[in-house]
Amino acid sequence: MNALKVLIADDHDVVRKGLRMLIEEHTGWQVCGEARSGREAVEKCTQLNPDVIVIDVSMPDLNGLEATKQIRKACPRTEVLVITHHDSDEMAAEVMEAGARGYVLKSDSDTDLVRAVEALSHHKPFFTSRVTEMFLANRGSRVTDPVEMMRGRLTPREREILQLIAEGKTAKEVATILGIATKTSDTHRTNIMRKLDLHSVAELVRYAIRNKVVEP
Amino acid sequence: MASTRVLLSDDHSFMRRGLRTILEANDRYEVCGEAGDGRETLELASQLAPDIVILDISMPPPNGLEVAAKPSQSLPGTKILMITMHDSEEMLRAAAAVGASGYLLKSDAEELLLVALQRLESGERFVSPAFDSDLANSLFP
Repeated sequence: MNALKVLIADDHDVVRKGLRMLIEEHTGWQVCGEARSGREAVEKCTQLNPDVIVIDVSMPDLNGLEATKQIRKACPRTEVLVITHHDSDEMAAEVMEAGARGYVLKSDSDTDLVRAVEALSHHKPFFTSRVTEMFLANRGSRVTDPVEMMRGRLTPREREILQLIAEGKTAKEVATILGIATKTSDTHRTNIMRKLDLHSVAELVRYAIRNKVVEP
Repeated sequence: MASTRVLLSDDHSFMRRGLRTILEANDRYEVCGEAGDGRETLELASQLAPDIVILDISMPPPNGLEVAAKPSQSLPGTKILMITMHDSEEMLRAAAAVGASGYLLKSDAEELLLVALQRLESGERFVSPAFDSDLANSLFP
Protein backbone atom coordinates (compact mmCIF):
# COMPACT_ATOMS: atom_id res chain seq x y z
CA MET A 1 0.00 0.00 0.00
CA ASN A 2 1.26 3.47 -0.77
CA ALA A 3 2.06 5.73 2.15
CA LEU A 4 -0.32 8.57 2.91
CA LYS A 5 1.46 11.77 1.87
CA VAL A 6 1.07 14.68 4.27
CA LEU A 7 2.30 18.24 3.72
CA ILE A 8 2.83 20.46 6.79
CA ALA A 9 2.45 24.23 6.61
CA ASP A 10 3.19 26.40 9.65
CA ASP A 11 5.52 29.36 10.04
CA HIS A 12 6.92 28.10 13.36
CA ASP A 13 9.76 25.58 13.02
CA VAL A 14 8.99 24.01 16.38
CA VAL A 15 5.33 23.46 15.57
CA ARG A 16 6.28 21.86 12.24
CA LYS A 17 8.65 19.61 14.14
CA GLY A 18 5.90 18.60 16.57
CA LEU A 19 3.47 17.91 13.73
CA ARG A 20 6.08 15.94 11.81
CA MET A 21 6.75 13.70 14.85
CA LEU A 22 3.04 13.06 15.33
CA ILE A 23 2.49 12.13 11.71
CA GLU A 24 5.61 10.04 11.27
CA GLU A 25 4.83 8.01 14.39
CA HIS A 26 1.81 6.72 12.54
CA THR A 27 2.47 3.66 10.39
CA GLY A 28 1.80 4.29 6.74
CA TRP A 29 1.95 8.09 6.96
CA GLN A 30 4.76 10.12 5.51
CA VAL A 31 5.56 13.83 5.64
CA CYS A 32 6.26 14.68 2.00
CA GLY A 33 7.18 18.33 2.58
CA GLU A 34 7.00 21.43 4.76
CA ALA A 35 6.01 25.03 4.04
CA ARG A 36 6.50 28.20 6.09
CA SER A 37 3.98 30.48 4.42
CA GLY A 38 0.64 30.21 2.68
CA ARG A 39 2.23 30.95 -0.66
CA GLU A 40 4.83 28.21 -0.21
CA ALA A 41 2.03 25.84 0.86
CA VAL A 42 0.19 26.42 -2.43
CA GLU A 43 3.39 25.93 -4.42
CA LYS A 44 4.40 22.73 -2.63
CA CYS A 45 0.88 21.35 -2.85
CA THR A 46 0.90 21.80 -6.59
CA GLN A 47 4.35 20.18 -6.86
CA LEU A 48 3.89 17.29 -4.42
CA ASN A 49 0.18 16.63 -4.70
CA PRO A 50 -0.21 15.40 -1.09
CA ASP A 51 -3.20 13.42 0.17
CA VAL A 52 -3.61 15.76 3.13
CA ILE A 53 -2.20 19.18 3.97
CA VAL A 54 -2.11 20.31 7.60
CA ILE A 55 -2.13 24.10 7.45
CA ASP A 56 -1.95 26.88 10.04
CA VAL A 57 -4.24 29.90 9.61
CA SER A 58 -1.84 32.62 10.79
CA MET A 59 1.04 32.69 8.37
CA PRO A 60 2.94 35.45 6.62
CA ASP A 61 2.51 36.37 2.93
CA LEU A 62 -0.73 34.51 2.36
CA ASN A 63 -2.73 33.29 5.32
CA GLY A 64 -3.91 29.71 5.66
CA LEU A 65 -7.51 30.42 4.69
CA GLU A 66 -6.62 32.12 1.42
CA ALA A 67 -4.07 29.40 0.74
CA THR A 68 -6.78 26.80 1.38
CA LYS A 69 -9.00 28.36 -1.28
CA GLN A 70 -6.17 28.28 -3.80
CA ILE A 71 -5.23 24.72 -2.88
CA ARG A 72 -8.81 23.49 -3.26
CA LYS A 73 -8.78 24.93 -6.76
CA ALA A 74 -5.32 23.79 -7.82
CA CYS A 75 -5.30 20.36 -6.14
CA PRO A 76 -8.90 19.23 -5.70
CA ARG A 77 -7.92 15.79 -4.42
CA THR A 78 -5.83 17.16 -1.56
CA GLU A 79 -7.83 17.32 1.67
CA VAL A 80 -7.15 20.37 3.83
CA LEU A 81 -6.89 20.20 7.63
CA VAL A 82 -6.76 23.66 9.18
CA ILE A 83 -5.12 24.17 12.58
CA THR A 84 -5.54 27.43 14.42
CA HIS A 85 -5.44 28.98 17.85
CA HIS A 86 -8.48 31.14 17.05
CA ASP A 87 -11.23 29.54 19.03
CA SER A 88 -14.32 31.20 17.49
CA ASP A 89 -17.41 30.25 15.51
CA GLU A 90 -16.52 32.92 12.96
CA MET A 91 -13.30 31.09 12.28
CA ALA A 92 -15.05 27.73 12.04
CA ALA A 93 -17.42 29.19 9.45
CA GLU A 94 -14.57 30.69 7.46
CA VAL A 95 -12.61 27.48 7.50
CA MET A 96 -15.56 25.62 6.03
CA GLU A 97 -16.23 28.35 3.49
CA ALA A 98 -12.61 28.17 2.38
CA GLY A 99 -13.16 24.52 1.50
CA ALA A 100 -11.26 22.78 4.30
CA ARG A 101 -12.88 19.61 5.52
CA GLY A 102 -11.01 19.41 8.78
CA TYR A 103 -10.48 21.86 11.61
CA VAL A 104 -8.45 21.31 14.78
CA LEU A 105 -7.53 23.85 17.43
CA LYS A 106 -3.91 24.13 18.47
CA SER A 107 -5.00 23.48 22.03
CA ASP A 108 -6.67 20.22 21.02
CA SER A 109 -4.81 17.03 21.81
CA ASP A 110 -2.37 15.08 19.68
CA THR A 111 -5.03 12.39 19.38
CA ASP A 112 -7.44 14.88 17.78
CA LEU A 113 -4.90 15.68 15.11
CA VAL A 114 -4.30 12.02 14.35
CA ARG A 115 -8.03 11.32 14.20
CA ALA A 116 -8.49 14.29 11.88
CA VAL A 117 -5.81 13.15 9.43
CA GLU A 118 -7.25 9.65 9.58
CA ALA A 119 -10.77 10.93 8.72
CA LEU A 120 -9.51 13.15 5.91
CA SER A 121 -7.48 10.32 4.44
CA HIS A 122 -10.83 8.61 3.88
CA HIS A 123 -12.28 11.87 2.52
CA LYS A 124 -14.49 12.26 5.58
CA PRO A 125 -14.80 15.62 7.34
CA PHE A 126 -13.41 16.11 10.84
CA PHE A 127 -14.13 18.96 13.20
CA THR A 128 -13.10 18.71 16.84
CA SER A 129 -16.06 18.36 19.15
CA ARG A 130 -15.34 21.76 20.67
CA VAL A 131 -15.57 23.37 17.26
CA THR A 132 -18.74 21.56 16.30
CA GLU A 133 -20.48 22.50 19.55
CA MET A 134 -19.42 26.09 19.24
CA PHE A 135 -20.50 26.31 15.65
CA LEU A 136 -23.87 24.65 16.13
CA ALA A 137 -24.59 26.67 19.25
CA ASN A 138 -23.89 29.97 17.54
CA ARG A 139 -25.08 29.39 14.04
CA GLY A 140 -28.70 30.28 14.71
CA SER A 141 -27.82 33.54 16.36
CA ARG A 142 -25.17 34.89 14.01
CA VAL A 143 -25.73 38.56 13.41
CA THR A 144 -25.46 39.79 9.87
CA ASP A 145 -23.21 42.79 9.98
CA PRO A 146 -23.29 44.87 6.78
CA VAL A 147 -19.51 45.29 6.82
CA GLU A 148 -19.12 41.53 7.17
CA MET A 149 -21.45 41.02 4.20
CA MET A 150 -19.40 43.45 2.17
CA ARG A 151 -16.28 41.63 3.22
CA GLY A 152 -17.57 38.49 1.58
CA ARG A 153 -17.51 40.44 -1.65
CA LEU A 154 -13.77 40.99 -1.65
CA THR A 155 -12.27 38.86 -4.38
CA PRO A 156 -9.56 36.34 -3.45
CA ARG A 157 -6.96 38.60 -5.06
CA GLU A 158 -8.23 41.56 -3.02
CA ARG A 159 -7.99 39.54 0.18
CA GLU A 160 -4.41 38.60 -0.67
CA ILE A 161 -3.57 42.25 -1.25
CA LEU A 162 -5.34 43.27 1.96
CA GLN A 163 -3.07 40.93 3.90
CA LEU A 164 0.11 42.15 2.21
CA ILE A 165 -0.74 45.81 2.81
CA ALA A 166 -1.63 45.06 6.42
CA GLU A 167 1.77 43.41 6.79
CA GLY A 168 3.31 46.73 5.85
CA LYS A 169 4.15 46.11 2.21
CA THR A 170 4.11 49.11 -0.15
CA ALA A 171 2.08 49.08 -3.38
CA LYS A 172 5.32 48.45 -5.25
CA GLU A 173 6.29 45.51 -3.02
CA VAL A 174 2.80 44.04 -3.35
CA ALA A 175 3.10 44.35 -7.12
CA THR A 176 6.49 42.57 -7.13
CA ILE A 177 5.29 39.73 -4.89
CA LEU A 178 2.21 39.09 -7.00
CA GLY A 179 3.84 39.77 -10.36
CA ILE A 180 1.41 42.58 -11.28
CA ALA A 181 1.88 46.25 -12.20
CA THR A 182 2.17 48.77 -9.36
CA LYS A 183 -0.77 50.63 -10.84
CA THR A 184 -2.91 47.49 -10.73
CA SER A 185 -1.94 46.91 -7.11
CA ASP A 186 -2.96 50.54 -6.36
CA THR A 187 -6.31 50.02 -8.05
CA HIS A 188 -6.93 46.91 -5.97
CA ARG A 189 -6.16 48.83 -2.81
CA THR A 190 -8.58 51.58 -3.79
CA ASN A 191 -11.28 49.00 -4.49
CA ILE A 192 -10.72 47.26 -1.17
CA MET A 193 -11.00 50.53 0.73
CA ARG A 194 -14.14 51.48 -1.16
CA LYS A 195 -15.79 48.11 -0.57
CA LEU A 196 -14.98 48.10 3.12
CA ASP A 197 -15.68 51.80 3.56
CA LEU A 198 -12.19 52.48 4.91
CA HIS A 199 -10.44 55.78 4.40
CA SER A 200 -6.80 55.27 5.28
CA VAL A 201 -4.16 52.56 5.32
CA ALA A 202 -4.26 52.71 9.13
CA GLU A 203 -7.97 51.86 9.03
CA LEU A 204 -7.27 49.08 6.60
CA VAL A 205 -4.62 47.60 8.90
CA ARG A 206 -6.98 47.84 11.87
CA TYR A 207 -9.67 46.08 9.84
CA ALA A 208 -7.24 43.33 8.85
CA ILE A 209 -6.19 42.75 12.45
CA ARG A 210 -9.74 42.81 13.80
CA ASN A 211 -10.83 40.28 11.23
CA LYS A 212 -7.76 38.13 11.80
CA VAL A 213 -6.43 38.51 8.27
CA VAL A 214 -3.12 39.24 10.01
CA GLU A 215 -1.87 38.95 13.60
CA PRO A 216 -1.57 42.09 15.70
CA MET B 1 25.69 14.03 35.70
CA ALA B 2 22.08 14.53 36.69
CA SER B 3 19.89 15.82 33.90
CA THR B 4 18.14 19.17 33.99
CA ARG B 5 14.44 18.72 34.68
CA VAL B 6 12.20 20.82 32.46
CA LEU B 7 8.47 21.50 32.74
CA LEU B 8 6.76 22.42 29.44
CA SER B 9 3.88 24.83 29.68
CA ASP B 10 2.02 25.81 26.54
CA ASP B 11 -1.64 25.48 25.60
CA HIS B 12 -0.72 24.31 22.09
CA SER B 13 -0.11 20.59 22.11
CA PHE B 14 1.83 20.60 18.82
CA MET B 15 4.17 23.25 20.15
CA ARG B 16 4.74 21.15 23.29
CA ARG B 17 5.40 18.14 21.11
CA GLY B 18 7.99 20.06 19.08
CA LEU B 19 9.73 21.36 22.21
CA ARG B 20 9.72 17.88 23.75
CA THR B 21 11.28 16.45 20.58
CA ILE B 22 14.13 18.95 20.72
CA LEU B 23 14.75 18.27 24.42
CA GLU B 24 14.53 14.50 24.17
CA ALA B 25 17.14 14.45 21.42
CA ASN B 26 19.55 15.72 24.08
CA ASP B 27 20.59 13.56 27.08
CA ARG B 28 21.08 16.58 29.21
CA TYR B 29 17.38 17.32 29.56
CA GLU B 30 14.46 15.46 30.99
CA VAL B 31 10.90 16.65 30.37
CA CYS B 32 9.39 16.08 33.81
CA GLY B 33 5.89 17.28 32.91
CA GLU B 34 3.61 19.12 30.50
CA ALA B 35 0.92 21.65 31.31
CA GLY B 36 -1.72 23.08 28.98
CA ASP B 37 -2.84 26.10 31.03
CA GLY B 38 -1.70 28.36 33.84
CA ARG B 39 -3.48 26.55 36.65
CA GLU B 40 -1.97 23.20 35.69
CA THR B 41 1.44 24.83 35.39
CA LEU B 42 1.29 26.11 38.96
CA GLU B 43 0.19 22.70 40.24
CA LEU B 44 2.89 20.80 38.40
CA ALA B 45 5.58 23.32 39.23
CA SER B 46 4.96 22.98 42.95
CA GLN B 47 4.68 19.17 42.72
CA LEU B 48 7.72 18.61 40.54
CA ALA B 49 10.00 21.52 41.46
CA PRO B 50 11.60 21.53 37.99
CA ASP B 51 14.93 23.22 37.31
CA ILE B 52 13.42 25.20 34.43
CA VAL B 53 9.88 25.98 33.30
CA ILE B 54 9.47 26.77 29.61
CA LEU B 55 6.46 29.02 29.87
CA ASP B 56 4.13 30.38 27.19
CA ILE B 57 2.67 33.84 27.82
CA SER B 58 -0.72 33.54 26.10
CA MET B 59 -2.50 30.70 27.87
CA PRO B 60 -5.86 30.03 29.47
CA PRO B 61 -5.74 31.80 32.83
CA PRO B 62 -3.70 32.51 34.71
CA ASN B 63 -1.48 33.58 31.82
CA GLY B 64 2.27 32.97 31.72
CA LEU B 65 3.16 36.32 33.24
CA GLU B 66 0.83 35.74 36.17
CA VAL B 67 2.22 32.24 36.60
CA ALA B 68 5.78 33.53 36.50
CA ALA B 69 5.06 36.02 39.24
CA LYS B 70 4.25 33.11 41.59
CA PRO B 71 6.82 30.30 41.32
CA SER B 72 9.70 32.73 41.41
CA GLN B 73 8.60 33.45 44.98
CA SER B 74 7.58 29.97 46.09
CA LEU B 75 10.18 27.95 44.16
CA PRO B 76 13.45 29.85 44.31
CA GLY B 77 15.32 27.01 42.53
CA THR B 78 13.10 27.11 39.44
CA LYS B 79 14.11 29.33 36.54
CA ILE B 80 11.69 30.56 33.93
CA LEU B 81 12.23 30.76 30.21
CA MET B 82 9.35 32.64 28.60
CA ILE B 83 8.47 31.40 25.15
CA THR B 84 6.09 33.47 23.09
CA MET B 85 5.02 34.68 19.69
CA HIS B 86 4.92 38.26 21.00
CA ASP B 87 7.78 40.13 19.39
CA SER B 88 6.99 43.11 21.61
CA GLU B 89 9.11 45.27 23.85
CA GLU B 90 6.19 45.70 26.21
CA MET B 91 5.97 41.92 26.73
CA LEU B 92 9.73 41.70 27.15
CA ARG B 93 9.57 44.32 29.90
CA ALA B 94 6.67 42.52 31.55
CA ALA B 95 8.58 39.21 31.48
CA ALA B 96 11.61 40.84 33.08
CA ALA B 97 9.40 42.44 35.70
CA VAL B 98 7.91 39.11 36.83
CA GLY B 99 11.35 37.59 37.24
CA ALA B 100 11.80 35.46 34.12
CA SER B 101 15.41 34.58 33.32
CA GLY B 102 14.90 34.36 29.59
CA TYR B 103 12.67 35.43 26.72
CA LEU B 104 12.61 33.25 23.61
CA LEU B 105 10.48 33.99 20.54
CA LYS B 106 8.63 30.97 19.18
CA SER B 107 10.07 31.68 15.77
CA ASP B 108 13.58 31.19 17.24
CA ALA B 109 12.73 28.13 19.30
CA GLU B 110 14.02 25.40 17.03
CA GLU B 111 17.36 27.10 16.57
CA LEU B 112 17.91 28.67 19.97
CA LEU B 113 16.03 26.65 22.59
CA LEU B 114 19.11 24.71 23.70
CA VAL B 115 21.27 27.83 23.68
CA ALA B 116 18.73 29.59 25.88
CA LEU B 117 18.53 26.68 28.33
CA GLN B 118 22.31 26.45 28.61
CA ARG B 119 22.52 30.14 29.42
CA LEU B 120 19.93 29.79 32.15
CA GLU B 121 21.71 26.76 33.61
CA SER B 122 24.96 28.65 33.87
CA GLY B 123 23.23 31.48 35.69
CA GLU B 124 23.04 33.85 32.72
CA ARG B 125 20.08 35.44 30.95
CA PHE B 126 18.78 34.88 27.44
CA VAL B 127 16.82 37.23 25.17
CA SER B 128 15.97 36.47 21.53
CA PRO B 129 18.30 38.36 19.17
CA ALA B 130 15.36 40.22 17.57
CA PHE B 131 15.52 42.64 20.50
CA ASP B 132 18.02 45.44 20.86
CA SER B 133 20.90 44.03 22.92
CA ASP B 134 21.30 47.16 25.07
CA LEU B 135 17.64 47.02 25.98
CA ALA B 136 17.87 43.27 26.68
CA ASN B 137 20.91 43.75 28.90
CA SER B 138 19.30 46.54 30.87
CA LEU B 139 16.08 44.57 31.43
CA PHE B 140 17.80 41.24 32.12
CA PRO B 141 21.01 42.23 33.97
